[in-house]
Amino acid sequence: MAATRRLQKELNDIRQSGLKSFRDIQVDESNILTWQGLIVPDNPPYNKGAFRIEINFPAEYPFKPPKISFKTKIYHPNIDEKGQVCLPIISAENWKPATKTDQVIQALVALVNDPEPEHPLRAELAEEFLKDRKKFTKNAEEFTKKHSEKRPTD
Amino acid sequence: MSSTEPSQNKTWELSLYELHRTPQEVITDATEIAVSPRSLHSELMCPICLDMLKKTMTTKECLHRFCSDCIITALRSGNKECPTCRKKLVSKRSLRPDPNFDLLISKIYPSRDEYEAHQERVLAKINMSHSQASLVNSITEGIKLQSQNRPQRARKNHEDNINASNSNGNSEPAQNGSSSSVPKDTTSTTSNPTPPGQSTSNPASVRSTPSPVPSNVSSISKNTSTTKRAKSILTSERSEESESSDGRTEGENSMDTEGEGEPLNPNEIELVFKPHPTEMTGDNQLMRALRDSSVRYLKTTANASVDHLSKYLAMRLTLDLDAELPEAYRLLNFCIYVAPSPGQFVPLAGSQTLRQINDKFWKVNKPLEMYYSWKKT
Repeated sequence: MAATRRLQKELNDIRQSGLKSFRDIQVDESNILTWQGLIVPDNPPYNKGAFRIEINFPAEYPFKPPKISFKTKIYHPNIDEKGQVCLPIISAENWKPATKTDQVIQALVALVNDPEPEHPLRAELAEEFLKDRKKFTKNAEEFTKKHSEKRPTD
Repeated sequence: MSSTEPSQNKTWELSLYELHRTPQEVITDATEIAVSPRSLHSELMCPICLDMLKKTMTTKECLHRFCSDCIITALRSGNKECPTCRKKLVSKRSLRPDPNFDLLISKIYPSRDEYEAHQERVLAKINMSHSQASLVNSITEGIKLQSQNRPQRARKNHEDNINASNSNGNSEPAQNGSSSSVPKDTTSTTSNPTPPGQSTSNPASVRSTPSPVPSNVSSISKNTSTTKRAKSILTSERSEESESSDGRTEGENSMDTEGEGEPLNPNEIELVFKPHPTEMTGDNQLMRALRDSSVRYLKTTANASVDHLSKYLAMRLTLDLDAELPEAYRLLNFCIYVAPSPGQFVPLAGSQTLRQINDKFWKVNKPLEMYYSWKKT
């Protein structure tokens, strides 16, 4: 299957690149269409934890975009309670087969680090983010401490 | 200048880069320009399959290149736009074959099959190193299996010259003890159908270097290659095999087959383990207990570290010596050395992998010789 071969290449490239912000990539060897990995943001208030995500590739990949969902709860204007995230690069209307997964991951990491309150998925958080940044940061930090995973040490 | 010249009202939308770039001088002398393989590859790569372009097709409007098969699949899958820039592509007629580009690729990579085989190997190698965690499991599994075969080994040592492939009824139940050893057989059938359990008892064959490859194997390959390339293709097939078999069986495979005469996988290293000649003398209690089974022959993944080996040895010897070993010697702490030249022993750090050691100290194409000594914890 074309998807499998391409994903294998992409997976190896990503693993080899030693990306600091996305690691611990786990792929079930019987199903390369589902990846799990740890997003390790650099910016506060998320830099106190790590967040597990799942990437699901359709069988038609790369002609159809992958889907990303957060397995770890996160206090973020662009990620909802169910872990759904709105990432333009993988939306159906923007997707290009030439887009590679490492670009998608980089876009996701950038979004986590710098929320985009203009396109919120959780309006109330976006409002808090815009109007009372201090409160938002405090809430998000507490939430991160409570729910996020431990950051890899190295 | 020329962009405004045409009388037709065709306008060119040039990017800033295109507007400001200076023309490149044409190289007319013998100047050579080095291009890294990575950047070269990205130029010759199809952005859909990420392989090297095959039967290149170029879009008429935006001049992006794809494999013929890939872009046709893309168009069929309903995306009527360029996979690189999303410019409208009405149909196949928006594409043109690009034989010049194909020629260019065949000029740069005259042996494309070989290049692809190499890629496969690299892929397989990386996949292997990521099943490290499963290696530890497999070591334990392998040891269990070996200890089941131990009675048989003792007997075999007496009838040393009997061929290892001589089927021995005892080994069957031992193998069935671990159901995960079944896929192992399928991975090795290409070159040597010897069951894993039996070869453990024939250390002599470890020393033999990989036997020549039966060339008929390469005919399975889809590549229409000459026999000259048979070897590299075979290697790639082997890698594909190891890729397909899951990490557990792979690791187990490498740990419990000590003496198969099949060609060595590039990811595997054969090694001979001997007691340290000065620190492990005859009056040493462990040596007395071990007697003639003090030399160990292993074939294992090159990603295994010295710590792995040390752990393996400790468990292995403890299992072997079960009753004979006094309680105090149960927790053995091994120090492992390599001897780059006779009489010179270099102690090894626990985190070094076998590949590193092999590359640094050994280099020659024969089983890596290592020495162990032990200290009480």
